[in-house]
Amino acid sequence: MKVGISSTGTSLESNVDMRFGRCPYFIIYDTESNDFEHIENQSRQAMGGAGIQAAQMIIDKKVGVVITGNVGPNAHRVLGSANIKIYSGITGTVKDAIEKLKKDEFKETAGPDVPSHFGTG
Amino acid sequence: MILSVASGKGGTGKTTVAVNLALSVGFCQFMDYDVEAPNAAFFLKPDIKHIQKVEMKHPYFLKEVCNACGKCAEFCNFNAVAVAGDEVIFFPELCHGCGGCLLVCPEGAVREKDVEIGKIKKGFSKPGINFYMGDLKPGYMRTISVQAALDKFIEKDILIIIDCPPGTSCPMVFSVKDSDYCILVTEPTPYGLNDLLISIEVLKDMGIPYGVIINRDGIGNDEVENYCRKNNIKILLKIPNDMEVAKYYSRGESMLDYDISWKGKFENILKEIKKDVRK
Ligand code: SF4
Ligand code: SF4
Repeated sequence: MKVGISSTGTSLESNVDMRFGRCPYFIIYDTESNDFEHIENQSRQAMGGAGIQAAQMIIDKKVGVVITGNVGPNAHRVLGSANIKIYSGITGTVKDAIEKLKKDEFKETAGPDVPSHFGTG
Repeated sequence: MILSVASGKGGTGKTTVAVNLALSVGFCQFMDYDVEAPNAAFFLKPDIKHIQKVEMKHPYFLKEVCNACGKCAEFCNFNAVAVAGDEVIFFPELCHGCGGCLLVCPEGAVREKDVEIGKIKKGFSKPGINFYMGDLKPGYMRTISVQAALDKFIEKDILIIIDCPPGTSCPMVFSVKDSDYCILVTEPTPYGLNDLLISIEVLKDMGIPYGVIINRDGIGNDEVENYCRKNNIKILLKIPNDMEVAKYYSRGESMLDYDISWKGKFENILKEIKKDVRK
């Protein structure tokens, strides 16, 4: 299964970024092969709908689980429609987050954590 | 003549100036371009006679025909569509109505319909003010579309007073674009000066003559005044920081209600401005 993690950097030592739509990178981690890649988050610069665009990108990457800080309502709706599991409110390094996921320590997030346009700044 | 009233940020007294100028002149056309938060009607108390819808085209998606290929989402520059699982999700508040998704859909699953994004309201205020305001529907980021609908009502050969949205982003630029003169309202504080400088840059770029009104004079410092004097910028008026004025304001009353001598002062401003207008 592929996991998409909003990340402050490009390595597993980077921290989980608080903002789903406007994080600088996503780490896409494959829990079967333990391989990972990073993708730059193009939606970061979007005028509006950054969360939607990021969610679409995550879907196109065939990700099954998202780990992040906060998810807004639009991104939540898009991810939810694609049956992607969302674990939000996660802090610490990407590596720790993956370990915790593997040990099944997370609880699924039922709704969005932040209103629209959060993190637009 | 088109005369716009702008300010670098909200709450500086921009609407107060626009409204009192209109009331002092008496006969003019007043246009509230601050369509995200129009509030001039609170002071001018127009009797609204006509309400007109502002509409734009939005797509809708035929579920039975759509095969979730994702082309529409890929195309949409405004992120107003996403394709997740086997469905299209549409976010109307982000849609710019460009019609692109309709063009790229290989299945013919996209249709268009008119949706209301706001209203234009017209009315009359005493003594002789033709009042127009735009009112953007909450949640729709279509400010300029509503302003463009207002543009069509601008008449020739009459004084037009435009109450602009605060700031210096696209909606402000759109509001001042046809102005013969712009009044910049500011407060005499470091922040006020900072915002004023940004507004001045915008107007200089657009080649629109401008002058400054200092509101709440007495708070803060002399920086704004010194800057204007040094750079030969006309200070049209200083409105003292007066608790009484604020009281009238909160009741929706004008400065003229408080002290009729303001009428003469605003009329003088207009005379000053006429010396400097472009053309
Ligand atoms: S009409 Fe244009 S802006 Fe609206 S959803 Fe379609 S492609 Fe996007
Ligand atoms: S382009 Fe047409 S068929 Fe493809 S997902 Fe969009 S609406 Fe459906």
